[in-house]
Amino acid sequence: MNGRIVTIVLLVGTALAGTLLATRIGAVRIPGNHQGYEPAQPIAFSHRLHAGELQVQCLYCHSGAEKSRHAGIPAAGTCMNCHRVVTTAFGAVRAEDDLAKKENRKPNLLVSTELRKLYDALAVSPAGMLPIAGREPVPIAWTKIHNVPDFVYFDHRGHVASGVTCQQCHGPVETMERVRQMETLSMGWCVNCHRQVNQIGVAGKTVYASIDCVTCHY
Amino acid sequence: MSEHAVSLRAPLITGDKSIAQVTDDVCAPMEGRPTALWWGAFIVAFAVMLLGVAAVSYQIATGIGTWGVNRTVGWAFDITNFVFWIGIGHAGTLISAILFLLRQRWRTSVNRAAEAMTIFAVICAAIFPLIHMGRPWFAYWVLPLPNTRGSLWVNFRSPLLWDVFAIGTYFTISVVFWYVGLLPDLATVRDRIKEGARRRIFAFFSLGWNGSYRTWHHYEAVYLLLAALGTALVVSVHSIVSMDFATSLVPGWHTTIFPPYFVAGAIFSGMAMVLTLMIIARKTMRLENYITIRHVEIMAKLVLTTGSIVGLAYATEFFIAAYSNNPYEQFVFINRAFGPFAWAYWIMVSCNVIAPQLFWFKRVRTNLAAVFVLSLFVNVGMWFERFVLIVTSLHRDYLPSSWADYAPTSVELATLAGSFGLFFTCFLLFCRFLPVIAISEVKAVVAHDRRTFGGGR
Amino acid sequence: MGTPAGAGDRMDPVMPKHDEKHYWKSLEERDGAIDPAALPEFLAVPSGADWRTTRRGFLVAAGFGLAGTALSSCSRAPVERAIPFLLQPEAVTPGRASFYASTCAGCSAGCGLIVKSRDGRPIKLEGNPDHPVSRGGLCAVGQASILGLYDSQRLDAPTREGRRTSWDEADRAILSSLAEIRQQRRPVRFLTSTITSPTTRATIDAFLASFADARHVTYDSLSASAVLDAHERTHGARLLPRYRFDRAEVIVGVDADFLGTWISPVEYTAGYRSGRTLGDALARMSFHAQIESRMSLTGAKADLRVVLAPAQYGLLMAHLADRVARLAGANSPFELLAAPPVAPALVDTLAERLWHAREKSLVVCGSNEVGLQVLCNAINHTLGAYGGTIDLDRPSFQQQGSDRQIEELLGDLSKGSVAALLVAGVNPVYELPGGEALAQHLKKVPLVISFSSHLDETSSLARFVCPDRHYLESWADAEPVAGALCVTQPVIGPIGGTRQLIESLAAWSGAPKPAYELLRESWMTRVYPRRLADQPFEAFWDRAVHDGFVEVAANAPAGRTFAAAAASVPAAAPAAAGTLALVLYPKVAMLDGRGALNPWLHELPDPITKTTWDNYACLSPAAASALHVAEGDIVRIEVGGGSGPSSAIELPACLQPGQHDGVVAVALGYGRMGTERFAKVGPRWLEARPTVGDDGRVGKNAAPLASLSDGALRYSGAPVRVVKTGRRRDLAVTQSHHYIAVPAHLAPAGGARRPIVQETTLPAYVKDPAAGSHGHHEAKEDLWPSDHSYPGRRWKMVIDLTACTGCSACVIACQVENNVPVVGRDEVRRHREMHWMRIDRYYADRADGGVDVIQQPMLCQHCENASCETVCPVLATVHSEEGLNQQVYNRCVGTRYCANNCPYKVRRFNWFDYPREDRLQHLVLNPDVVVRSRGVMEKCSMCVQRIQDAKVEAKRQGLPLSDGAVQTACQQSCPAKAITFGDANDPESRVARLLKDPRHFRVLEELNVKPSVGYLTLIRNRAEGEGGGATGHE
Repeated sequence: MNGRIVTIVLLVGTALAGTLLATRIGAVRIPGNHQGYEPAQPIAFSHRLHAGELQVQCLYCHSGAEKSRHAGIPAAGTCMNCHRVVTTAFGAVRAEDDLAKKENRKPNLLVSTELRKLYDALAVSPAGMLPIAGREPVPIAWTKIHNVPDFVYFDHRGHVASGVTCQQCHGPVETMERVRQMETLSMGWCVNCHRQVNQIGVAGKTVYASIDCVTCHY
Repeated sequence: MSEHAVSLRAPLITGDKSIAQVTDDVCAPMEGRPTALWWGAFIVAFAVMLLGVAAVSYQIATGIGTWGVNRTVGWAFDITNFVFWIGIGHAGTLISAILFLLRQRWRTSVNRAAEAMTIFAVICAAIFPLIHMGRPWFAYWVLPLPNTRGSLWVNFRSPLLWDVFAIGTYFTISVVFWYVGLLPDLATVRDRIKEGARRRIFAFFSLGWNGSYRTWHHYEAVYLLLAALGTALVVSVHSIVSMDFATSLVPGWHTTIFPPYFVAGAIFSGMAMVLTLMIIARKTMRLENYITIRHVEIMAKLVLTTGSIVGLAYATEFFIAAYSNNPYEQFVFINRAFGPFAWAYWIMVSCNVIAPQLFWFKRVRTNLAAVFVLSLFVNVGMWFERFVLIVTSLHRDYLPSSWADYAPTSVELATLAGSFGLFFTCFLLFCRFLPVIAISEVKAVVAHDRRTFGGGR
Repeated sequence: MGTPAGAGDRMDPVMPKHDEKHYWKSLEERDGAIDPAALPEFLAVPSGADWRTTRRGFLVAAGFGLAGTALSSCSRAPVERAIPFLLQPEAVTPGRASFYASTCAGCSAGCGLIVKSRDGRPIKLEGNPDHPVSRGGLCAVGQASILGLYDSQRLDAPTREGRRTSWDEADRAILSSLAEIRQQRRPVRFLTSTITSPTTRATIDAFLASFADARHVTYDSLSASAVLDAHERTHGARLLPRYRFDRAEVIVGVDADFLGTWISPVEYTAGYRSGRTLGDALARMSFHAQIESRMSLTGAKADLRVVLAPAQYGLLMAHLADRVARLAGANSPFELLAAPPVAPALVDTLAERLWHAREKSLVVCGSNEVGLQVLCNAINHTLGAYGGTIDLDRPSFQQQGSDRQIEELLGDLSKGSVAALLVAGVNPVYELPGGEALAQHLKKVPLVISFSSHLDETSSLARFVCPDRHYLESWADAEPVAGALCVTQPVIGPIGGTRQLIESLAAWSGAPKPAYELLRESWMTRVYPRRLADQPFEAFWDRAVHDGFVEVAANAPAGRTFAAAAASVPAAAPAAAGTLALVLYPKVAMLDGRGALNPWLHELPDPITKTTWDNYACLSPAAASALHVAEGDIVRIEVGGGSGPSSAIELPACLQPGQHDGVVAVALGYGRMGTERFAKVGPRWLEARPTVGDDGRVGKNAAPLASLSDGALRYSGAPVRVVKTGRRRDLAVTQSHHYIAVPAHLAPAGGARRPIVQETTLPAYVKDPAAGSHGHHEAKEDLWPSDHSYPGRRWKMVIDLTACTGCSACVIACQVENNVPVVGRDEVRRHREMHWMRIDRYYADRADGGVDVIQQPMLCQHCENASCETVCPVLATVHSEEGLNQQVYNRCVGTRYCANNCPYKVRRFNWFDYPREDRLQHLVLNPDVVVRSRGVMEKCSMCVQRIQDAKVEAKRQGLPLSDGAVQTACQQSCPAKAITFGDANDPESRVARLLKDPRHFRVLEELNVKPSVGYLTLIRNRAEGEGGGATGHE
């Protein structure tokens, strides 16, 4: 009698546990796997807006990717190529202009909060983009997301040269408001891709991706 | 008729013990308070073990550099101790398995202790491959585990990996074998205890043994099977350990005779260690009637035999080197005998080959003191055999530019001592808490003796 | 290379050091890079992936034995920041190296450099292949000089009376006292080592011009003053000729270690090697005889080596002069000569060989005795060497020191007549005999200004120290050889508030200017007018900065016709009974002690003795046994003794085969102030022993044993007594068995000498190019099919033993390139040095009693059937499809099985975490190579980081990888071009051609491990069976 109850409880428990585990198993992570890492950045830069809507080429900002092992993060100066003139969302500017026309006055210069951080970093005033006296420029400390261990040497050059798209490793960044690590970046993941492309090639052309250890470890 | 019987065989168990007496005698040390002698021994052993623990912790925290090893002599005390202990571990299974299959009834008095010794020795041995790693915290990488590194697996071509499996198997089988053998005796002890935790513990571990015919039947079957398995392992384990060296291309290591030579050496050292322990146990635990001079003598004979085989192996090595006409091989062996480590070599030869020859004389074989001393010699000698093999081969190999010497550091010495501490700590605990002699098996022998002499009277 | 002119200075402002650190990639550097306090240790787990917080979920996982995994996945690696530039400097791409041409200031030889700069930090120096002087090589000292840049103990501000001060303050004080001296017309002395920079010389002259009694005194602590003085006598111009070893067919060196340490070793090695080129279309092999008393690097390479006591050099050279004169039909300069110190036949052969190759023969003498040098000039003149192998029209400025001047100056100082002494680039208190006395005299000098970058024996006595910049932070020029103008450009913003010498001088001359302008002006006025091709100055300048040098017309002093000066036999002091002749010599790494603050150079095994971290008393085995001294016994060396000033030092003895029995040789450059820092080098543990000696310094200073008298700084010849003290000090030697033969009493029948190196003689080689071969083990059928097919490239290396001198430049090059740690004296003593590239030096006894020396670079042989690969349980070392033996540090668990099983013993194990004694020196680490952690095996990777970079770069540009596009660090630095590396699958590659050379062999070929590294037979230019050696008889 007693025994039966115990058995039933155990069975139920096991079943429950099983279902729970089944739902959670995907979340079990091997140490060092940061898939899904999505930290907040000092400036809420939107890749969706820039790469997605405005169609800015990845390599325009991350120019290192084709000539260096590091893709690199653009210097604040690069941002200024556009943001010298664009200081806030287009819509806001339009609205301000209309309002100004209505009130027939000169439209004010609107500066979005995020862009203000950029100007502060460079210590320039949004009006006229002139350096502010007595203010030191401070570099922007972005948080690294796609980060492989120090004993791994990944080289962007080769991958870009052989036609691997950025999205293949970084995911659909152009749809991301805040960038998120899509892939595991584990060795297995790298090696499997290297194996595959040797079979099927990249973007139609045959490539050769070595799976020697020294391809990444030295 | 009976006269013939008398001349046929002297009793294995003297003192004309009754079955009840056997039980009493063997259980005596487990019941009642431990003697001062036991406490003394235990405290010393435990202290030494702690010293070893300290040494190993320091080494793991600081680096392998705390050992005397260097770019040329990459292994020294670590693997020497490993092979030494594995060797010690051989006697147990040999006695319980092979001698069992060969129906050597004299084994009954010693097999239990020998098996226990085996297990403890293998534990000591297993520590060294682990701590000799530069990064022991990654030791699990030698196991074929699924991982995130694509197809990165282990190297099945590496003898070190074979070791992992060999030792693992050997340890498992030895433990099972030992435990199965213990079952009836655990039951006996259980039944002697009236009440309390100890009884419950023994009750649990004797797996509800009831001594019925069926129990005994199954027991015998399992024991026989395990013996068969064990037999294969006795030969395989040390063969595989020997391949760590035999498959390399280090002159002095790269030899085909290693497997048999190692196995013989292992049994040799194992027997010596059994002798050492048995003679102590016999004295301290008043088991003179069970571990008789006869037992000692038989084992002495075994030591003599295996010792001579080892001696032959030493000679063969030199012959092979000379005959191979390979200057590197030749040099290594000349260097062993006359080079910087000649002292170690000659200790080895005198302890392992010359000393045991005294066992040709019955007077020596039957003289406990002499046997004890010689068994100690053999233990020392066999440790030096591994030391000579490893260090003298490595320290002067192909390019003279890389020749180097080797001297152990205090950390290494402490680690070696510690392994002995661990071994004796375990063994003393075993003596205290478990029947040192296989009661049930001895009883069988006793019964047998009864039948032979004067059972009629 | 291809960077716009002056990119260096444009780089200066852009890098506050913290900017790029986060691009580094190495375990070590992250520690250096991130300030842990500033960052949260763990990142808050993003809610998206946050399942562990649900207790049930956790329990389930735990219950199913996943606790371990789950827990460990709770934690994240420390957050890494990526901090980009604010404004992208166009010359810099993060992660991409740029290369700048410059000029080495490791010594005064002025070799050409290519500086590899990564993210604004220079991390590697390489030879400039186009450079007219060094021709692509770079010696160990040059390679190591980059570490000095990141030396945190450099002075970073001027000091006054030992206290830090500001430049303004210092300038004000100095100007006032200078003004005082100026109007009191009191004597000013400017003391420097050789200055090859015309700009600096001019600036000094301009500065001194404003004083009534001012003189610029130059001396070299490794003095070649006698050579210049001798030419003043014989050729009427005090200059150092340029020796053209490349043109020489017969070379006789007398005590001149020109391949190792004498004047311009890299230049000479390059020339020497091009005179000994075999196998190619032009097969040349010069004959080289070396006459010396100790075993020098040069002597070790000689075809004929004559061992002679220093006192005998004169007599031998007199006989040589005599014989040569006779052969020339002239009458002998000497009436009667004592019997030659060697077999007369030997002198005859030498003279004849020299004469037969006249105009293509060369005699060089390293002695600092003017008399000897005059003799030497006479011989060279008779041989017509001037104009042929000796260039006086384009002389060398690499040594300008004058011992007479320094002697005078010391006299003045002792008299206390000097009002101001400015010291730059020298450390007289340490380097000169009687340094203690000098220290006393300096106290009498009112104004002592030192430009030293460290507190050393001299600068610590100076009233002002105005630290000069490291040359990698400086704008400078150099003219090592007349007509070859070299530029030094800064490759990093100055670390610390130093100021260049010329800037200081300009400031004190009342016209403060930055060095860049000073340099350009001086070029405008001094160099540009000497241009060969007509072009605008800007173009001229840009080209010079871009190439690192420019060839211009030589303007050397006139009047260089030989005037037979009275050549006399220098009196040979008879060796007193019971004494040995002292020989002070510079070590390849340490030279005069300028390398003494560099741990790399201390740990570089001496090419001959293979000893590190000490100097020692070299004794021939016979002499040692006569004194009952064994290796490591501390002996006391006493100079003078009975009468006169006596000084003594105690050093451990080192047994040196091939040294004269009457000689004790001691290295200079040790025991320097500042070496106390090395007390911290190496791991600290229970049984560790300190790297420094009892006095807290590395080695002992032997300079006090030298003598400076009648216009010559004498290093050798002084009679000394050597006494055994009874104490011992084990030397940290990387090679404990020195002979290629095994010890006689252990030798198997006929197997005494090991067939590791193939060597033969030139005649034998001419007869049969495969001569000396140990019988080729042509590949036999393997039992198994080959594991490796090499479809793409197949990296192989060939090392020419005939070319290799053993100078050890490659060892340091490898250490810098691959972040090889320094382990300290005690670890080396325990045979745990970490060098990936080592040079095995073997002695071989000769029938005639002499010894031959064999130098064999030994590195991972990258075997095809690698014995290490089979035994690794975790596949941490495996074969690559391009033939490399890959070592994967992050996979290694450290069983050391691979090292045991390596027949070449080239694998190195990280016994500890080796502390880098100076954190600032982390900046020199190569970001492209992992810094290995404790418990991991490592070894030569054939500079795989360079291979990978070249491959990717080629892929990027869509070009094939051309032969020579990948150069290993050792290959690039080799002054003798002994190392060839390339793709053996490309039949056109140089390495493929060398593989077919009949001289090609592999070490331990019989093991059939099939190494990818091969060697070319060592060939000596001597008759078959000829001994090739002789010993002088007293």
